[in-house]
Amino acid sequence: MTAGTAHIGMREYGHDAREAARAAVMLSPAVLFYVIFFGVPMLSLLVLSFWHVEGFDIVADFTGANYQKIASSGLYRDILLRTIGLGLLTAAITVPIAFTLSYLMRFVFPHKAQFILQLVLVSLFSGYLVRIYAWRTILGKQGLLNSALQWLGAIDRPLEYLIYSNFAVIVTLTGLLLPLAVLPIYSSMANISRDHIEIAADLGSRRLHLVRTVLIPMALPGIRTGFAFTFLLAAGDFVTPSLVGGSQSIMIGNVIADQFRGTGANWPLGAALAFVVMAAVMLIVIVITHLIRRVTRW
Amino acid sequence: MVAGSWRYVWAYVFVCAVMLYLYVPIAVTVLFSFANSPRLSLPIEGLTLDWYSRALDNPLIVTALRNTALLAAISAVGGCLMGTAFAFGVLKLRQERTRRVLLGLGLLPAVVPLLVIGVALAVFFRTLGSKPGLFNAAVGHVLISLPFVVLTLNARLETFDFSVLEAARDLGATPGRAFLDITLPLIRTSVIGAGLLAAALSLDEFVVTWFNVGTELTAPVLIWGLMRRGVDPSINALATMLLAALLVLILAATMTSRRAPQ
Repeated sequence: MTAGTAHIGMREYGHDAREAARAAVMLSPAVLFYVIFFGVPMLSLLVLSFWHVEGFDIVADFTGANYQKIASSGLYRDILLRTIGLGLLTAAITVPIAFTLSYLMRFVFPHKAQFILQLVLVSLFSGYLVRIYAWRTILGKQGLLNSALQWLGAIDRPLEYLIYSNFAVIVTLTGLLLPLAVLPIYSSMANISRDHIEIAADLGSRRLHLVRTVLIPMALPGIRTGFAFTFLLAAGDFVTPSLVGGSQSIMIGNVIADQFRGTGANWPLGAALAFVVMAAVMLIVIVITHLIRRVTRW
Repeated sequence: MVAGSWRYVWAYVFVCAVMLYLYVPIAVTVLFSFANSPRLSLPIEGLTLDWYSRALDNPLIVTALRNTALLAAISAVGGCLMGTAFAFGVLKLRQERTRRVLLGLGLLPAVVPLLVIGVALAVFFRTLGSKPGLFNAAVGHVLISLPFVVLTLNARLETFDFSVLEAARDLGATPGRAFLDITLPLIRTSVIGAGLLAAALSLDEFVVTWFNVGTELTAPVLIWGLMRRGVDPSINALATMLLAALLVLILAATMTSRRAPQ
């Protein structure tokens, strides 16, 4: 009896501390794994970006030489600008498609929404390399699209710009990243009820006005996440430009990849390029979300 | 009404067009893996299984498939154990803010470009003197599958009724017993679903693998090598086999999580 009450008492007193200890035990494996294999590697990449290469050796010192080289080289600047341009264009195409799809799922086909979402999710996980390669078959000079257009008599000669071009890169990236934009945008629309829309409509809101003053502001967190996802991942991709892009669509990802796995590799320079592109993308995301918020307020 | 039904038609067309956009590449790959002309263009003259036998004749494929299966198993088990424990640990925390910050950090690797994760790991392992190979790649696979496991389980655990556990503890069950008898049966399907998802991610992973696997092969690395060499229809056969495996894993993952008891 006494043992029993003592036991219960201990449980009351030690409860909080013991729960906290148990939480720490459960968190520690993943936290340690993240620190060792994610935190430390990202930091080593950052440190490496301040080292430099002499001959074939990496010299450990602290110089801004790589960053200076990137800033002063017209070639890197052009590729960086192109990467940001292609990334922005991809995001600017992907997000409105995802927004429209989410809107239709939420308000026009609510009963099929789960099914459509399932289809979108499955496509997200079905073959990254495979889907990029498939676009080469579709957009190629003698590919499906060209042969279909020729068969229909719409064109006499194959359209050259369909493949190995910026067009091909954007089409492919949009297809790859669309699911990643739909998921956050659709889930942020789940908070908007039909009532919001109907009340606004009753108050005399016209359709476009409704989108600008009700829908976009309420779905803004999802739109922001979707935009940031697509932009960042598009700007960081190197497989798409190297499989379907042309000589005019080399992106910074290709240059970074070559610094690590190419001939004439330069790891410190590659590391610096990686941080430059990530910083540029984040800065632009911040500026753009700020702008969207201002424009959509009224 | 007429205007309304037209709007409905347009909406329908839009949704179908987007689904086509997402699925035509997959359909094309599967279709051409059975087409008998080596040139990848229409019309298709006949069907054949030649590309499959040619793909399977490639002596490298057995190694690639074995390595891919090994990595998928490691990410499923490793990702699941650490991710589940993490999701539980986060929920046990008292402060809402700490919970949100930790969860956000747990999802961080999902929003860093794979290229950057890949090269960062390569730098890290090179500093340690660990030669590129399957071990390094496995670490990368677990790292990129963890956020998805955490996300899946966190969504499940948010609706988990912890009062059942409290009741069991009050009735004298040890924490271990309570976990085995109550928690595990309730969350088992979600854990399995998350594991299957981790396996699928690993099966499909190319970028991080490419920078860390060295001269070893996985199925996506082999496909990449073939793609760089030019048009070869046996790529479509390999890709279709990979797609089939992915589809099975993903459908199983979504089905197990849908059947999760409420």
